[in-house]
Amino acid sequence: MINRFLNHLEEWIIATLMASATVVIFLAVLHRFLSGVPYIQDYAVKLHVSWAQELCIFMFVWMAKFGAAYGVRTGIHVGVDVILRKLTGKSKTALVLFGLLAGATFTGIVGTLGSNFVWEMSHTDQTSSDLELPMWIAYLCLPLGSFLMSFRFLQVAVNFYKTGKLPHHDHGHVEGLEDVYANDLVAETPSIAGARK
Amino acid sequence: MNAAIIFILLIVLMLTGMPISISLGLTVLTFLFTMTNVPIESVALKLFTGIEKFEIMAIPFFILAGNFLTHGGVAKRMIRFATSMIGHWHGGLGLAAVMACALFAAISGSSPATVVAIGSVILPAMVKQGFPAKFGAGIVTTSGALGILIPPSIAMVMYSVSTGTSVGSLFIAGVIPGISLAILLGITTWWIARKNDYPRLPKASWRERWTAFRESIWGLLLIVVVMGGIYSGKFTPTEAAAMAAVYAFVVAVFVYKDLPIKRVAKVLLDSASMSAMLLYIITNAMLFSFLMTSEQIPQVMADWMIMQGFGPLVFLLVVNILLLIAGNVMEPSSIILIMAPILFPVAMKLGIDPIHFGILIVVNMEIGMCHPPVGLNLYVASGITKMGITELTVAVWPWLLTMLGFLVVVTYWPPLSTWLPHVLMR
Repeated sequence: MINRFLNHLEEWIIATLMASATVVIFLAVLHRFLSGVPYIQDYAVKLHVSWAQELCIFMFVWMAKFGAAYGVRTGIHVGVDVILRKLTGKSKTALVLFGLLAGATFTGIVGTLGSNFVWEMSHTDQTSSDLELPMWIAYLCLPLGSFLMSFRFLQVAVNFYKTGKLPHHDHGHVEGLEDVYANDLVAETPSIAGARK
Repeated sequence: MNAAIIFILLIVLMLTGMPISISLGLTVLTFLFTMTNVPIESVALKLFTGIEKFEIMAIPFFILAGNFLTHGGVAKRMIRFATSMIGHWHGGLGLAAVMACALFAAISGSSPATVVAIGSVILPAMVKQGFPAKFGAGIVTTSGALGILIPPSIAMVMYSVSTGTSVGSLFIAGVIPGISLAILLGITTWWIARKNDYPRLPKASWRERWTAFRESIWGLLLIVVVMGGIYSGKFTPTEAAAMAAVYAFVVAVFVYKDLPIKRVAKVLLDSASMSAMLLYIITNAMLFSFLMTSEQIPQVMADWMIMQGFGPLVFLLVVNILLLIAGNVMEPSSIILIMAPILFPVAMKLGIDPIHFGILIVVNMEIGMCHPPVGLNLYVASGITKMGITELTVAVWPWLLTMLGFLVVVTYWPPLSTWLPHVLMR
């Protein structure tokens, strides 16, 4: 139940950040062009969008941290699998588990380092240069994202131990191929339909 | 000594099959904990500041733009355009497959996706017309990799991120080598087809060509938006990427209508997770190259190279071999992020042009995607053609040789990559 909620939250956060960052940069560029157009420019120059770049960076850094955790769940993080492919049975299970636990350890350590760092930052009054956002808030994604990622690694490890299944991301997946077959390509393109030989 | 420990640790961790990003991070942490007194807090800071650059943000935007147009419908349009233009020459559908791959790969930016999208449509059609299955498989596997050389290319952004070379110049530098390689692959196809008298298509009428062109132009304009925007100086590369993403969204949803509006969330999610994966590798690779620099490893290597009297000639040969071997086991982004910061300072000391060096690396990556035993494209192609890897290895041979020949030219004839950017970006 909590897990389902966490899954949705994770997906919702990263997809929204992706979309918003795109819109922010699009508007900033649009604004720059409008500032050169007569009449409109009088209104355009009153708005400042110098913070757009910084906002975009923060959004993407947050997206990267949470997206990396989501990626563990969907198996998108690739490794060198030349040895794993050759192994079977117990030794394979052991090596996979070792990899997953190493991931959990690393992200756990980073999360801890990050928390200390954010804690120290919150006692200073450092703010970002354009948005004037307190830096500790911006850095908060580091511990949050890393602990979430560590949790995901453990989740995948437990699941693998129980069922022997690993999440797998298909890098060659393309939408819209179900309805495209050789037949309709041939049928729709007269030049192919009438091929000689 | 330290260098040896770092590299051995990294290689051992990688070989366990854990994610590359994790093995990079763990190497750095282990080294910092046990062997130096660099304050460990600086690691946490690096993990945030590593990707806190606007230039890097071009990557998520390009991925989003590519994903909007990575669709079977777009593949079909590119194939129709290519067949109507060059389908009547020797090689017929095969030759068209090369062109369609080049166009689709440039737009989608993903090699495996190109192999699948173009391959699933054109291979069955080719077999039906009487081409041997391995002929089509060889074409699609190799041509599918063209995308990382033809701009916009994420591999080039990666190189720019790790070496500080201008993305705009790299993109422009990729144009001539990209087109040349596509033509060379086409010539290989044409030659084999002519020798074996493979079926050709009747010549399409200009009307047919115009219709096909009008259908595919919307997708192809994406390249124009990016290149035109950067070259004219209207956009920075990151802005160009964001505009490309918005453009791709409009084309996919409103012009081509391939993508129902309710699928947009899925595309966003997929792009976000793909970008996050790459950004995570970048962060950890930055950490790793921070370690490299603080141990002065590139410096020592450069001095050693020069002391041994290695000129650029030998160095580039070594680089090619190293990258081709690495291409066997890793995907392009990771290789570039790990290798470029180490090799680049050496290359600079030997007086190699940064843009030339970048293009050379990218061509290597391209070959790495389709050469046996473990190129990603081979695996994907094996999935759609139901051919074994060994069988495919034989099938890609003629095109792979062409690519290797091209690599030699790129390596030892720098003007091929540096001429256009030098003329245009003065």
